[in-house]
This record gives sequence, structure tokens and C-alpha cells, in this order.
Amino acid sequence: MTLLELKNVTKHYSPAVAPALADISFSVNEGEFISVIGPSGSGKTTLLRTINRMVELSGGEITFAGVSISRLRKSELRKLRSKIGMIFQHYNLVDRMSVIENVLHGRLGHKSTLAGILGSYTLAEKEQALRIIQMLGLDEYINKRCDQLSGGQKQRVGIARALVQNPKLILCDEPIASLDPSSAKIIMDYLKNISRDLGITLLVSLHQVDIALKYSDRVIGVNRGTIVFDGKPDELTRERVSEIYGFDAGDLMINLGESEGYAS
Amino acid sequence: MMEIDESIEVWGKMGKRDGGNNLRPLIAKPLDRATLAIRLTLFVLAGMTTYTFLTLGSNGVNVAQATAETLSNFATMFLHPYSHHLTVWDAFYEVLITLGLAYLTTVLGGVLALFLGLMAAQNLAPKWLTNIIKSFVAVIRAVPTILWVLIFAVAAGLGSTAAVIGLTFHSVGYLTKAYSESFEDLDRSVIEALRATGANWWQVVFQAVIPSSATYLLSWTFLRFEINFGNAVAMGAAAGAAGIGFDLFMAGGYYFDLHEVGLITYLVLAFAIVMETAATYMKRRLQSGE
Repeated sequence: MTLLELKNVTKHYSPAVAPALADISFSVNEGEFISVIGPSGSGKTTLLRTINRMVELSGGEITFAGVSISRLRKSELRKLRSKIGMIFQHYNLVDRMSVIENVLHGRLGHKSTLAGILGSYTLAEKEQALRIIQMLGLDEYINKRCDQLSGGQKQRVGIARALVQNPKLILCDEPIASLDPSSAKIIMDYLKNISRDLGITLLVSLHQVDIALKYSDRVIGVNRGTIVFDGKPDELTRERVSEIYGFDAGDLMINLGESEGYAS
Repeated sequence: MMEIDESIEVWGKMGKRDGGNNLRPLIAKPLDRATLAIRLTLFVLAGMTTYTFLTLGSNGVNVAQATAETLSNFATMFLHPYSHHLTVWDAFYEVLITLGLAYLTTVLGGVLALFLGLMAAQNLAPKWLTNIIKSFVAVIRAVPTILWVLIFAVAAGLGSTAAVIGLTFHSVGYLTKAYSESFEDLDRSVIEALRATGANWWQVVFQAVIPSSATYLLSWTFLRFEINFGNAVAMGAAAGAAGIGFDLFMAGGYYFDLHEVGLITYLVLAFAIVMETAATYMKRRLQSGE
């Protein structure tokens, strides 16, 4: 079933420069794990942010769960955003607050203004947050302040904050770009589990082609604001990679899994 | 003046003759507009200082004698503090009144400044609004506190009302700037993350912005409280707003009782130290996250 559909989406930040997104169309089925790859500045981040309208569209149409998002009013937009989680490269947690407080921030979109201001969460919400924290192996840090955590732990808090929203879709904006390889693997494994066990749709922008190949059901390659590849990981050949990045795949030190089976 | 200009010309010629020789920066600093401006300013200041000292009218005061007498007055004040008119309880009560004035104006100013600060923070409000509020409070700050008190005294009459309004007014100007800069310290990306979960502006402010800047808010507020305490002492004397300042004014200017001036000064100092200690303690507790 189609969860998300983009039709001829364009985004101009300024009329003087080339558009960040030019005529992008694709649709996403429920439960898919999709990686978005492409060089820096190719529009990956903009693409993700148009979906929850953190970036406004210049043209085109986005439909999420049967609702056209571009003309939503303020309260409807809040409702839309509460169904879409987001994970960031720099985690974007409130550093001075504890893990549990940060996780519960994911519930703000479901609450009245006053309850949110006072930070009064229901017992059910707290129990759910606790379950998610345990699932992500963060139980011993639950009352620690987030500035005392490592990068990998912070990103797990970020995932927990997204999960507590009960989202249908999670947008991940370069979730492992600031992490060391072992933390990156842990995070990607969690994302894979979320996709497989909870059936949540994931749209992940990545810089590492081999990781994209290993984890995702489908890869979208973006270059200069247009989609240049959209298909299964095993359809991504050397030629297609060099089309996405504008360099020969061998020069880019990308392992496509032909020699060692590393990315299979 | 001539000498400098001549040397400027000489250096200029050296530069041209060498034609971009790389030794030139070693011989002299490259002469640009900034260096020239600094040199001219220093020269003018030196001239003015010399002129002032040469034409300073001492009005027949014997400098040595005057210095000795000042020191002897200080000795009377600070080595023999004593009270003739005020009992210890009276003095204490008067300091409490001054403290109350400082507290009231800081709280009123702080509450108003909290909201203005949110509207003046660039990561929370549209640019046109932050510009309006920032320039508005800059104007308030540019006028000294005592002038605001005197301005409001036109309407409210000289006394505590004018003092409260005037002090509050200036506190708002000061704290709005301090608060908004503390708020701006929080990364836009954190605000964006909460907006992306569907949180609205008020929720973001109370769940992320204020908790993140609480330590700054507290230390700025305490700093303003100290300033307001000092101002409140002065208002007692200048605006008739009661409190220890009025007693200080009476003791110094009316009874000419230096012993009492000394005592009152010590009392004010003691209160200031207590406040500072309390502020440091509270800030440390907040920082350690207890």
C-alpha cells in the first residue's frame, strides 16, 4: 500500500540559483526501508524536509497517508508532523535535559499546548517511553543528562524520541554521518529492526553507498535535485553509481560487494 | 603632526621604490587606513591630555593637604563606624526596604523581559520583530536609570512609585537583551527537531529553550538584582524612595556624620556579599543539575 507519494516536487531556495529539487516523483510503500544517496548539496536533506514541511515546497504535490500535505493549516500540520518521526545527523537533543525528558518530547505533537508547556505526560506515555528506552538498551542512562552521553547513545535517544511518536514514517537525515563505524553499525541495525519488526517506513539519507546497499530494500540516487536512480540495491551497478556521484565508482573507494560480498 | 605625516610619506615612497619587496613588512607595518586612524587618534588624545594638565585649575587647593584630609575622612568613616541616629534594628529595616525595592523591580523587569526576550531572539521570532524589540530596548538602555526615574517622577511624583517604574523600565531593557542572547545560544537545529515532532512554539519554548538557558537566565537576573540594589540605594537619596540610601544621604549631607556613613556603607557591603554568595551557590546547584 502506498504511504507516501511525491509528484513533480520542486524547490527553489532563490530564483537566482538552480533549484534544490527539480521535478521529483516517486512513491513509497508502507514498511519499505529506502536509502537516499547522492553527493553533498544534491538535495537529499531538502527532499526529506519537504515531506514533513520543515521546508516549504515551491511546486508539486506530496500525499502522505492519503492526505495532501501542501495546503494543511497549522493544527493539521502539527497532526501530520506528529505521525512522522525525524532523526538528525547531530542528534538535535536538548543537551541539558535527561534522556527520559528528551524521549518524551516526541509526545509533544500529540498534546495540548498547556500540557506540553507543563511537561505533564500520562502514565501510558511514560510507560511507552520506558519500553522504548529499554528496547534501545538505554535503561541505565534514563536519568542522565544528554550531554554526558556518547554520540551513539545520543543517536539512540534520537531514535527513541522518534519512536515514541508512534510514527508511520521516520525520516533519517544522515543518521550515522557523525558516528564511528561500530556505533554506526549499531544504529543501522536498530533502524533495520524498527523497519522489520515494527513495520515503520524509513527514508534514510546516507553517504555510505555500501551501507545503503546492505540495509535497504530500495535505493534512490539523487544528483543536482533530480532522481538519477531508483531501484533495488542489486540493480545499482558501477555505472549507475558514477552517474549519481559524477565519478568512477573505483575512484570513490566504494565497495559494491563484487569482490568480498561485504555489502551483500 | 608634521613628523608623522612626513614619515608616512617616506614609508610610502619606500614601498613604491621596493615595488612589493617582501622585506617591507619586516621594516614597517604596512600603512593602511586603520593604522593611520589609530596613530592620529593617539596623537590627538596625547595633545588633549597635555593641554588639560597645563590648564587645570586647582582653585587654590593644596594638593598634599587635601589628600591627607581625604584620607583622614576615610579613616573616620571606615575605622570608626558608629551610629548616632540609627539603631541597629532601624538600619537593618531600612536595608530591607532597599532590598525590597531591588527585588520588586528585578522580578517585574524579569517577567516582562522574559516575554520580550523570547520575541527578540532570532531563533524564535521573525526578523522584523526581533529588530523592533532590540532597537526599542537599546533606546531604553541608552538612557541611565536615574533619568528614567526622574522622567517618571513627572507623572508619579518624586518617591517610591517613580523609583519602581524607572528601575523596572531600565531592568527590562537590560534583561531583554541578556535573555534574548541566552535564548539564541540554543541551536536552531534543536528547535527544528522539536518542531518536526509536531510541537508548537510555546511547547518548544518551555520544553527546550528555557530549560537550556536556565543557568544564564539566573545569573543575568542576579547580576541585575545586584545592579538594582545599588540603584535602589542611590534612588533613596536622589528620588526620595526611602530605604538605606535616604539615611546615607541624611548622614552624609545633612548631619555630616562620617561615622554613620561608614556604618551604613559596611551594612550595604555585608548585604551585597551575602547576596553574591547565595547567587553563586544557587548557580552551582543548577549547573550540577540537582
